[in-house]
Amino acid sequence: MKMARIKARLLACTAVAAGLLSWGVAAAQAEICGRKGGDLVFGMEAKLSTLDQHVNAANATRNVAMNIFETLMTRDENMAPVLDLADSLDISQDGKTYTFKLRPGVKFHNGKPLTSADVAGSFARYKRIGIDRSALDAIDRWETPDDATFRIILKEPRATFLESISASTVPIVIVPADQSNAEPTQLKPIGTGPFELVEFVADSHVKVKRFDGYVPNKSLKGISGFAGQKEACLDTVTFRTLAEPGARTAALETGEVQIVEDVPTLSRERLSKNKDIKVVQLDYAGLNLTYPNFSQAPTDNLKVRQAILASLNMEDIMDAASDGAFSLNPSFQFPGQTYYSEAGSQLYNQNNPEKAKALLKEAGYKGEKVVLLTTRDIPRAYTTALVMSEQMKAAGINAELLVLDWPTALGMSVNDTKGWNFFFTTWITVTAQGGAQSLRNLADPSNVHKPVGNKSDEDFMEQFRILSSSPDLEKRKEAFAKAQARVFDQVMAIPFGAIPKIQATRANVEGYIPFFNTRVSNVWLKQ
Amino acid sequence: MLAYALRRIAQAVPILFLVSLISFGIMQLVPGDPAAMLAGPNATPAELAQLRQNLGLDRSFLVQLGIFYGNLLHGDLGHSLILGQPVLETVIERSPISISLAIYSLVLTILFGISIGMVAAMRHNRILDQIAMVIALIGVSVPNFWLGLVMIVLFSVQLGWLPTGGYVPFTEDPLGWLRAATMPAVAMALMQIGLLARLTRSTMLEILGQDYIRTARAKGLRETTIIVRHAMSNVLMPIVTVIGMILSVLLSGSVIVETIFAVPGIGALLGNAILARDYPMIQGGLLFVASALLLLNIAVDLIYAWLDPRVRLQ
Repeated sequence: MKMARIKARLLACTAVAAGLLSWGVAAAQAEICGRKGGDLVFGMEAKLSTLDQHVNAANATRNVAMNIFETLMTRDENMAPVLDLADSLDISQDGKTYTFKLRPGVKFHNGKPLTSADVAGSFARYKRIGIDRSALDAIDRWETPDDATFRIILKEPRATFLESISASTVPIVIVPADQSNAEPTQLKPIGTGPFELVEFVADSHVKVKRFDGYVPNKSLKGISGFAGQKEACLDTVTFRTLAEPGARTAALETGEVQIVEDVPTLSRERLSKNKDIKVVQLDYAGLNLTYPNFSQAPTDNLKVRQAILASLNMEDIMDAASDGAFSLNPSFQFPGQTYYSEAGSQLYNQNNPEKAKALLKEAGYKGEKVVLLTTRDIPRAYTTALVMSEQMKAAGINAELLVLDWPTALGMSVNDTKGWNFFFTTWITVTAQGGAQSLRNLADPSNVHKPVGNKSDEDFMEQFRILSSSPDLEKRKEAFAKAQARVFDQVMAIPFGAIPKIQATRANVEGYIPFFNTRVSNVWLKQ
Repeated sequence: MLAYALRRIAQAVPILFLVSLISFGIMQLVPGDPAAMLAGPNATPAELAQLRQNLGLDRSFLVQLGIFYGNLLHGDLGHSLILGQPVLETVIERSPISISLAIYSLVLTILFGISIGMVAAMRHNRILDQIAMVIALIGVSVPNFWLGLVMIVLFSVQLGWLPTGGYVPFTEDPLGWLRAATMPAVAMALMQIGLLARLTRSTMLEILGQDYIRTARAKGLRETTIIVRHAMSNVLMPIVTVIGMILSVLLSGSVIVETIFAVPGIGALLGNAILARDYPMIQGGLLFVASALLLLNIAVDLIYAWLDPRVRLQ
């Protein structure tokens, strides 16, 4: 069988093939470790409950786990699929067989060498209990012809298969084969990453130390996304939960912690003036959005949804929701991403109450309640809903907030088709995963917008199928643009704008590059 | 005394059964879904259904209740859905943290609460009384989260005396424990100090107005002797009861204080479990806390009976 060989160092080619090139800044680090040694404390915003990366979609879990575990394929700095534990990948000409050769010499933290049986066991566990296991739906079977070879055979060719298995929202981390039967949350945190676990106290802190047996991937110079040449410069890293923003920034100012995430916008200016602190920012980290409920009146009426979209002023909403730190973003991708398109953007940020009123009249709207389901637990979601409701009221819509605690609001949006009309959330990593991954939430069977009969719009689905399966990148890009235009036209979801990720470090921290999740490899402390 | 103690313990059994039943029932009725919390808002219905099955949440209420009591009879409070650890083990791990903080807070409360109350009563309607009552009023009025943040800015950022948060076990480093626990303990204690000071003052004023105190004064006894020998024993009765209640509050932990100071105590554990709808942790945790509080109340009752033999006879 004729094969196309992909080596890890040919990142650009891989990225083009997957349609994910040219976004962000590649991190070609001049110096991997300026100095070895030292202990670093990282202040995390969220509480960490588990390190079982297969069954948790939380940012906090990834922040720590992705320094302990590695994956067969992951995402680079531009969020393009790239080999990590695999040294090479051969794809058969019929596009159905993917043969991975494992990087030689890789060891787990328990000292055992990585083999294809471990990869197969990890895939098996993920397929059984992994949260995002639909990523493996395209697989017919996998084989382990020898210790260094892992082969996947698909049911049918799928151009975005590598995009799926490398997705970093709930990564398919590779664990020892004897962990394949571990029940959810019972996974022992033994990985192949540059750091190994020392201590984990749930909701408090996680301490990791340098794994002396780590074998770095030298096909790249420096770290790139979750891949590349990773090295543990620090002796230990302690990830401390500091949920209260004021206490978190205070801990940075006193030097108790060396890096903090999610610096409040209002503290950024003050910290910037402190010569002992560096503020770093990832400009496009999340997409603030809402989706309507298609199964609940009056948002089951297209004209009503279009009227609501017409009434919105995204600038005011984002300004309030982010304390002024935002970018308007008329797309479900970020600028610079391969699939980024402004198709349908004429319907974004219309700020046109008169048009809204005309559409409401056309819809036969009689002042029915429009319930905006939100939570104060996530201030951004609450403020967004609050400003949106006022703008809707100005257009003559009977908007009403339903403010619940996050678990109740989330449970209601997931399980109930009644009682709410809009649900507010932020796609933190979803958008970054690429075109198909970001629109997947609006496609069958996910359908977060609750279409009647759980069947999404057929015109949208037609484009989504091309986006998911066409081997031709240009066709996929075109399909994404058409699908996005359809989302705007049918008001299947409303993106308000992009939010940045603002972090800060002590001035003596070197090599820290902000990313969607925390990477403490290649980070060192100046003396 | 032994019969009294046994009677009080026997009374606790049905109470604990009720607590377990109510905590189990309430959690089943409260909206929210642990599977949705784990999977996030974008999971497909099939993925959620599979997760619920994995977590055993697809079973009927009665089956889940049966499993809960079956495990309970074997001393097993179940496994946390989120942490994946045995509930009993986790609660026992966190208890020393909350207990040590509670004791530190209680010591501060008794020391300052009783002192301020006594001074106020002894200097009734004078400037010291006014100052003491303003302090007590501040104690009961200032929200502990605000006080916590102010203390962090003052003692950590400005003065650099104390760490902003975290917890150091007393057994590992007593001085480190003292430094880390001081601000959370003060934040938790301030309101209790205010309450205890007001109670001590009013009780003391009532006692000092009684005939036997007047008689003691008429006999020419010194004021210190009157206070220490004659008034204090009667003032202590209501104070002991209130101290028991204060300790119950402190032992349950404070979600807010523990969150601000990043202390992994019982309060934070149960608060997070509630936010994540971690049913076994909430049920087991509440049962454990309820048992501890019942034992504490029994201990307070025994002290009360020791102080006042009339209680035993009743």
